[in-house]
Amino acid sequence: MTSLLAGLLAADAPKGQDPTGFWGALARAAEWFIGLFQAGGETFLGLVTGIIPLLIVLLTVFNAVIRLIGPEKIDHLGEMAGRPGLQYYPLRYLVLPVLSVFFLTNPMAYTMGRFLPEKYKPAFYDAAVSYVHPPLGIFPHINPGEFFVWAGIAYGLRDAGYNLSDLAIRYLLVGLVVIFIRGIATEYITGRMMARQTAKDAASTEAVA
Amino acid sequence: MDGLNSILVRVGRGVGGVVGTFYQAGRDTIDTVIRNVLPFMAFIAAIIGIINKSGIGTALANFIAPAASSLLGLIAITIFCAIPILSPLLGPGAVIAQVVGTLLGTRFKAGDIPAQYALPALFAINPQVGCDFIPVGLALGEAEPETVEIGVPAVLFSRLLTGPLATIIAYFASFGLYTSK
Repeated sequence: MTSLLAGLLAADAPKGQDPTGFWGALARAAEWFIGLFQAGGETFLGLVTGIIPLLIVLLTVFNAVIRLIGPEKIDHLGEMAGRPGLQYYPLRYLVLPVLSVFFLTNPMAYTMGRFLPEKYKPAFYDAAVSYVHPPLGIFPHINPGEFFVWAGIAYGLRDAGYNLSDLAIRYLLVGLVVIFIRGIATEYITGRMMARQTAKDAASTEAVA
Repeated sequence: MDGLNSILVRVGRGVGGVVGTFYQAGRDTIDTVIRNVLPFMAFIAAIIGIINKSGIGTALANFIAPAASSLLGLIAITIFCAIPILSPLLGPGAVIAQVVGTLLGTRFKAGDIPAQYALPALFAINPQVGCDFIPVGLALGEAEPETVEIGVPAVLFSRLLTGPLATIIAYFASFGLYTSK
């Protein structure tokens, strides 16, 4: 459509010489205007042919695998992850968020927080939501609607001739480290704020009494 | 004969189940692509086309490329996106992260930003992930209202710390990536 319009505009221009004066300026303005959308159209075509076919096949396979396995299998893990103790930290802020995000995808992954005690819920949410983008290079089914958080930068690199698999793996692995740190940091901050809140509540009830 | 029949029935049912599952998965996929992926591609193609063709892209690049080509610049971007008041505003639909990411992508393609900054950049544009969604996310996890009241600021403040940390970790984790080119 855009090429058709551009073709019409080009055909309107007199052969042999460029129009000058007022009409020339108008023609150039029109050409520039259509050019904006022509560039957009080319970008769109590149995105559709470059991303959609692989994305569709990947999404189909992973959606099918998840349906065959059954996401309710990880419920038991959620119950275990809520236990106190140092050895449950990796389970709570690494294994559980990763499996929730993989099997339940964004946004249903956050429902797994229901198995945890209240004081861990914000930290679990923080860890889970921070992992809806790092695996996008390999498992786009977890968040196809936000695919360009990864693809924006990655496909620029691909167009420049770089291989993406190394970057995809590193994004996924660094994501693991980051969500684990986020879980612990947010749990600590939540704990401090809850303690302060409890102290304040106690003080106000005393004042009332 | 009955044994053979029951085997046939069982195999048929199993195969039918798998095929049905794949078919349903394909249906879900096409639905997602049409509802979520294609509209976003249209949106981003329009923005990128206009930005690049109109010359805004070059101006933006002069501003953004130097920032994205150094660790300090990336940390500055991260801290900006992680400011507790801004982060919930930048979060929705990850639109900001996706648009900024795509803009950076065009700069990576042009070679304005060295390729080894791709990994830290992926984290620098996204410390605000999910910051708009904390109350809903916690509600999905059946959290009490008191937990939500504390959880929202807890996550937002935590990001101010873990956001830049993520960028730094990613920077060190990208050693050996794309250095040969």
